[in-house]
Amino acid sequence: MVEDDATIADFVSKGLAEAGHAVDVASDGERGVELALKGDYDAAIVDVMLPRLDGLTLIDRLRARGVQTPVLILSARRTVDDRVKGLQAGGDDYLTKPFAFAELLARLQALIRRSTGQTEPTRLSLGNLSLDLLSRRAERDGKPIDLRPREYGLLEYLLRNQGRVLTKTMILSHVWGYNFDPGTNVVDVLVSRLREKIDRDFEPKLLHTVRGVGYVLKAS
Amino acid sequence: MSETARHQDNEEPIARIGLRLAAWYAVVFVGTSLAIVLLTYRLLAASLEERDQQLVTSTLREYSQRYAEGGLRSLADAVEIEQRSGRRERMFVRVVRGPSETLFLSAPYAWNDFDVSRLRGLGGLEEILSESGTARLEVASARLADGTLLQVGKSSENREVLLARYRTVLAIISLVIVAVALAGGAIVTRSTLQPIRQLITAVRGIVRTGRIDARVPVREERDAIDELSALFNEMLDRITTLIRGMEHALDNVAHDLRTPMTRLRGVAERALQSNDAQAHREALVTSLEESERILAMLDTLMDISEAETGTMRLDVTAVPLAPLVGEVVELYENIAEDKRISVSSDVSAELTIPADSKRLRQVLANLIDNAIKYTPPGGRVEVRARRDGSVVRLDVADSGVGIAPRDLPHIWERLYRGDQSRNERGLGLGLSLVRAIVVAHGGTVDVSAEPGRGATFTVKLPADSKGPSITRV
Repeated sequence: MVEDDATIADFVSKGLAEAGHAVDVASDGERGVELALKGDYDAAIVDVMLPRLDGLTLIDRLRARGVQTPVLILSARRTVDDRVKGLQAGGDDYLTKPFAFAELLARLQALIRRSTGQTEPTRLSLGNLSLDLLSRRAERDGKPIDLRPREYGLLEYLLRNQGRVLTKTMILSHVWGYNFDPGTNVVDVLVSRLREKIDRDFEPKLLHTVRGVGYVLKAS
Repeated sequence: MSETARHQDNEEPIARIGLRLAAWYAVVFVGTSLAIVLLTYRLLAASLEERDQQLVTSTLREYSQRYAEGGLRSLADAVEIEQRSGRRERMFVRVVRGPSETLFLSAPYAWNDFDVSRLRGLGGLEEILSESGTARLEVASARLADGTLLQVGKSSENREVLLARYRTVLAIISLVIVAVALAGGAIVTRSTLQPIRQLITAVRGIVRTGRIDARVPVREERDAIDELSALFNEMLDRITTLIRGMEHALDNVAHDLRTPMTRLRGVAERALQSNDAQAHREALVTSLEESERILAMLDTLMDISEAETGTMRLDVTAVPLAPLVGEVVELYENIAEDKRISVSSDVSAELTIPADSKRLRQVLANLIDNAIKYTPPGGRVEVRARRDGSVVRLDVADSGVGIAPRDLPHIWERLYRGDQSRNERGLGLGLSLVRAIVVAHGGTVDVSAEPGRGATFTVKLPADSKGPSITRV
């Protein structure tokens, strides 16, 4: 992780360590390049605004030296500039500050998954809840569950990220493709409908609310 | 860059333009004048030559006549008399028999320069060059009745002297022309560039002092330079408006963020004073939620400011309205269902509108969200869109609580919340954003409402793409 703000670097690296990742932190761009060239990392988190060498130049240098480590770019700008878009097209991802740690973790793991080329499953499941991606059918305890399109989208998203907390913003942009606050909490409503269908008549409860952050699908 | 270096940088281009103008002027002026001078010279030289040749041929004719009438004797007398008296210009006269036997020769001494033995004596005019190469002898010959050859010739010397004098005169004239051209070029350039120089000085003054309220003086000549000055002033006006707008927006954002920041601070302070772990948890959750709200608010405030100052980037395409409305209605489907509100839409399938689809979606979402919020269970929300002349009219009507007359003028203000809206979750920015985006698209938004009888928000957007002004200030 290349980040000059010590507090952010600290909370991210602690969080990642808890999630089972080992993290090295560089506080400026030059040191970031050194680290990335020395070690064999699964992914890099790079802030755009850095002392001595800005993040985008850093990424250019790594790519020029043949380092293909996937990069999650952190930017404090609200509007994403074209260079970042270009990098995103090259397989990297970006996140704007401030961000929820849950979202950073989810995106980082998606990047690692993509770069290690894991095969796409045709069936997702958690305990006795399963979702067939080909027939688009869900069932729990062998009983079919009838889902509407958005409910299906949400369940698929939750199952793919089981155990990880998903924020409302993430759900909104993933399920509807919206990236603005639509006012009334449409996410809450969709979640409670899905919960009604997959959890009400079954045990254990799978869809949990993490207050102040978002939702998580997990067995315990 | 130092001040003097920058000064030179600015001074150099105009000097370069000046030099180029002056050079062009001089080249054209001198070129035309010299062409005229050259032409007159050539004409004069040609006519002098023609006159000499005529003289030679007429003399030849006259002398052959005389020879035919009085023989060699008479010809010699005539030549003698005429040369002496000066009645005729001095000429070369020779009578030759056979290949080289000269019977008679009259030639001025100075003409010994010419090697007359080279004359072949046949046909038209012959020319021989003097040894010194400065003059030519032009000779006409005629075969006489007794077989002798009569030759009459004239040196081009006189003519050359005359032309030489004329050349001197022309050279002086040319020098004068060049001098006039250079001076004229300089004057023309100066008078043309003077206003540009003034403009540059004025603009540089403004740039250097940063006083954007200063203006460039506009003369009353109504030429291109005046237009440039006027345009420059107009640009300054726009920049000033933009800067004022941004300062205003920044003030507003700072002001609007103070309240939620205070709330955030309050929550944290209260938690610190408590020793209860559960209360600490609660406070942390509240802080997180509050920070989400602040972020959402900041984004919305930025959107409003950008739209209002005209810096919002609109990605305008032809947006089909029916699918867009359908999509937004679907977003609120569950909420409407929960509240037992029927949401219907009436949009003709082929209606398209030039707009930024993401922004338009935001407008619609805010209006529909609002309508559902203020409509009691069992009510109706209707979305209608149709073309109305040169505009597309979009209505979002509800059967809700309506708006109190005293709130009506204020609903577009940022963070204004009427009595009814205080109980609802929201930022109080939705309608301000709606209006800002619609205005940025070159449209208008209006509301008609009565308490208890619902409200209808009407958005009118230009139906044809005239390139909605994105630099509107």
